[in-house]
Amino acid sequence: MPKRHLDDALVTQPPSKRRDLKSTPPDRLSSLSDELLLQILSFLPISSLNICQRLSRRFHTLAGDPELWKRQYYVQWVRPRARRLANVTRSTLPSKISAARVDYSPKVSTWLDHGHLTEDGKITNWKGQYRLRHNWSTGVCRVSEVKFTESQTPPLAQLCAGVVFTADTVHGLRAWAAKDPAHCFAEISFSDSVETPSINPTALTVSHFVDEREVVVGFEDGQACRYLFNVRTARLQLVSRHTGLADGAITAMALSSPYLMIVSENENLSLYNFQGSARSSKSAKLQKLTSLSAANMVAPMTLSMRRSGVNIVATIVYSFFHISCGWSLGIQELRFDRTGQQVESRLTSTVESQHGTFSERGRPESRTRRDSVGLDIDVDRIAPDSGEPLIVHLHPPTSISYSHPYLLTSHADNTLTMYLVVSDNQRLFVRGGQRLWGHTSSVSAVQVTNRGKAISVSGRGDEIRIWELEPAVRSLGSRPLLQDENSIKVHPEHPDRDEADLDSAPTGSPGDIAEEHEVPDGWSIIQGCVGFDEERVLLLREKAVGTQLLECYDFT
Amino acid sequence: MSSQITLTSSDGVDISVDRTVAERSILIKNMLEDLGDSGEAIPIPNVNEAVLKKVIEWCEHHKNDPVTATDDDDNRRKTTDIDEWDQKFMQVDQEMLFEIILAANYLDIKALLDVGCKTVANMIKGKSPEEIRKTFNIQNDFTPEEEDQIRRENEWAEE
Repeated sequence: MPKRHLDDALVTQPPSKRRDLKSTPPDRLSSLSDELLLQILSFLPISSLNICQRLSRRFHTLAGDPELWKRQYYVQWVRPRARRLANVTRSTLPSKISAARVDYSPKVSTWLDHGHLTEDGKITNWKGQYRLRHNWSTGVCRVSEVKFTESQTPPLAQLCAGVVFTADTVHGLRAWAAKDPAHCFAEISFSDSVETPSINPTALTVSHFVDEREVVVGFEDGQACRYLFNVRTARLQLVSRHTGLADGAITAMALSSPYLMIVSENENLSLYNFQGSARSSKSAKLQKLTSLSAANMVAPMTLSMRRSGVNIVATIVYSFFHISCGWSLGIQELRFDRTGQQVESRLTSTVESQHGTFSERGRPESRTRRDSVGLDIDVDRIAPDSGEPLIVHLHPPTSISYSHPYLLTSHADNTLTMYLVVSDNQRLFVRGGQRLWGHTSSVSAVQVTNRGKAISVSGRGDEIRIWELEPAVRSLGSRPLLQDENSIKVHPEHPDRDEADLDSAPTGSPGDIAEEHEVPDGWSIIQGCVGFDEERVLLLREKAVGTQLLECYDFT
Repeated sequence: MSSQITLTSSDGVDISVDRTVAERSILIKNMLEDLGDSGEAIPIPNVNEAVLKKVIEWCEHHKNDPVTATDDDDNRRKTTDIDEWDQKFMQVDQEMLFEIILAANYLDIKALLDVGCKTVANMIKGKSPEEIRKTFNIQNDFTPEEEDQIRRENEWAEE
């Protein structure tokens, strides 16, 4: 230890200025133990941690310490939500929130919605997780695109737990890695499985098991094929074929094994049950549970199936024109018990919400509960007694997404509308309606998760917005949301843009590319949102008529 | 129970101090409980006179503070604000600053350790890597390529 004068303690100047030593003064900070340095680093914001990683190898390790980042992650992304949810008094959100912890706990299993990070034997890169959330919150991502077919009609596509499935006439059913969409796991032609060659697939639905994905493809002639994709072996196989499910083309499907819901072009809705419990059973027969004619149903519509206790709930959300408030949504809910017996059917609509009739009062009696089956809204029973509606849609929605309890529609008038669906043993009703502002052009597609995260895309795909709707639930209907309050615009970086658009680049000025990352050669539209997960958003884009692209926005 | 106890610094200097003041140190508190009231001087072999006096000065000033619970980690970390007296107290050269941190760690005085760590954290905050290296004389052992790569990887969180 160097000799020290007593009055050193009183001198306030930094030692480097005061001392005239020839040798470099010692690095006292680095001589501290790891434990003490971590303690110092724990007082720093993440921007400083990133700076500290650049100091030296030792600091690179220490400032990247997983526990340090885990705590930062908790403080930034977990606690605010836990606090908010603890404050929500009356809510339609799942009841598990009451157990939400507000104090920091190193046990991730006590954090809400972080189950995917607690899998056995998985070591979490907490800095990576923090960065992922940071990127989502600021809309920063890398975009890559894969050209996967030349066709006038866009392929059917769906993302399911890390695997993208696409179906088109030429290539049949294909499975792609969401992580790296250029990588096709497997493909299976439809001509092997369907008697008539070059038959067009018209609907696609996927359901998720541990390391299997069950895929059902519906065709224009009313038949459907069931496939299994094994994630470990990356093999795609045909399991069973079912003919005559619909009397025309199958236009929409939803699968929650063993239940399959089908809507045909002739406005027939049927619910089937795959008999034989084994998923790979070739002899599986489809048993028809119920069938409804849907005379009043206008596209767009969406089907969904979920489990609620012991029951299976099949929901059809469709749009219809209502005299007082324009385009509205009808919600038909069918409940089945485990044996496939229909328990009840009930119906509600967004008309009263659009009038603001029950924004905050809750629902009086279950007026909309009906025992009859039908997709016909009973208009007379909905009394627009409150005068002018708050939400009027003069045009039908461009897309509908329902993931209980969130129901969202996208509109050509640059807005989204959000409703909350309340569905319990006694009642089915729509709570509140809320216009969501933020887009500056027509919105062509929206997709929402049951946690209230939504992605919406403009028609040209130049504006993608990320919505966190959970905070909006509390203010539902009580006040208009401020622009940008709940949504973040995605700002994609195009690392491979130069190479990818080399051929088209000369036609546009550089300013165009820099401004909105627009494709300079013009025509390009979004054909739909394939899906999104914790790490990325996948979109279908059609460029230069007939070139179908899969666009991946990666937030990692 | 005597109200005064004696501590012996590493350089052999006896310092008399109020027992309640000395008991801000969990180490000393536990030693006193274990040893009983023998009246003998307690050796503090890792802390020299100058630093020990400085630490005692801090303990004197904070002797009436409520002993903070150990699990309020988040509140503790929320801010690097330091109260005015502590800020003045910490206006020492780096050698003394780090000696205080080491002594607070050894003597187990959590609140003083926090003040020390916050002081260092404040010396790091808002500085560029080069400025931080200069402040603490940290040796940069990266190759320029490595450093550039880490800079690019970490750009996302710079404000």
